[in-house]
Amino acid sequence: MLTLKHWWLLGLGLLSLAIQIFDPGLARGQDTTNILFHDDYNRAIREAKLTGKPIFLEFRCAP
Amino acid sequence: MQQYVCARITRMDGIDIGLFDFDRHNAIYYFVINADEQIYLRYGGRDAESATTYLNLRSLELALEEGLRMHENKDVPAITRPQPLFPNEIPLLKKRTAWRGECVECHLIADYQNLHRELDGTLDPMRDMYRSPDLKSIGIHLDVPRGLVVKESSGAVAEAGLQAGDRIMHLNGIRVRTFGDFQYHYDKVSRDAREIRLGIESSEAARELVVQLPERWWLTDLEFRHWTVEPLVYFKTEPLGPEQKVALGMPIDGFAGEVVETDRFYSVASPALKRGDIVFDVESVQRDDLANTPELHIKLRHRAGSAVKLQVLRDGERFESVLTTERQNFRKVEP
Repeated sequence: MLTLKHWWLLGLGLLSLAIQIFDPGLARGQDTTNILFHDDYNRAIREAKLTGKPIFLEFRCAP
Repeated sequence: MQQYVCARITRMDGIDIGLFDFDRHNAIYYFVINADEQIYLRYGGRDAESATTYLNLRSLELALEEGLRMHENKDVPAITRPQPLFPNEIPLLKKRTAWRGECVECHLIADYQNLHRELDGTLDPMRDMYRSPDLKSIGIHLDVPRGLVVKESSGAVAEAGLQAGDRIMHLNGIRVRTFGDFQYHYDKVSRDAREIRLGIESSEAARELVVQLPERWWLTDLEFRHWTVEPLVYFKTEPLGPEQKVALGMPIDGFAGEVVETDRFYSVASPALKRGDIVFDVESVQRDDLANTPELHIKLRHRAGSAVKLQVLRDGERFESVLTTERQNFRKVEP
């Protein structure tokens, strides 16, 4: 007979499994906050002016 | 990363490539800048061995932390902004990519800039083809995750006193914070330079080292660059020793070399060269202040696509071979 405690443990187990499947980064303790990368240089400059943040600018060969 | 505004640029049209100047044969390269487009630092760089030799998550984190510190302290390197330059100001590049709606790739910028230099007669192969000299050639082996901390030193830098654990802080008086910074400024060193100065920080004290640059310190493997202006020769030699040269009646300061490698399926020389051949003369020239092999002499002194007469020694017999160097056309449409 399953008690409330068993249901809780089962629920936590399933939640943990779901996190590992759908967000392995979070399961490893990493910060998986999405980071917006502008693809428009001028928009990044405008945002930096508004927020006072520095800019991390990546040049990447697409082909 | 949340403390940064992030931007990823995959097309160079509209980018001031005068400001964002870097060795274009990097598939990925980073800058940390402020809203006034002042560059705090660079991150990236590669060597001929691999595109990722110097890319490392830990050293990237260190660079990002340093960038934040600099931004907070308004510690902007005192550099005059270079003249603006946009890809559409490079006529051949514009004609063959932008006008056709094709991607303005980084490596194409560099290739077309060299093509213009070739047309203008200003191409200096040492400076324009042999980009980003390898630090290992002067004995700097970095502890890559720790940025500019030296893991091992040998050769020229070891003789100057560089030791494992030292951190490189300055190159010729310029503050460098990342491998990207160092490689960029090292690439700007005149190929005629005989020495460089390294500012070092260690557990003991800060000090400056004067490093005597070895001959051909700038020489790197060009294979991954696919320069149009590099004459391809499809053979490789090892320089002859002084005794061999004397025994064969060749000038001791000549560039004679023994063929150690040829392409198995392709030759641009007629008659074809074979392993063991000795190439000692190119177009009646046997000495070159810069080159120690015939193929390097060809790459430095002859135009890609041109034909050169080689004097060759095989089994005691001398003969002439005409080599038509090849010109590459990597990922470009035909003119």
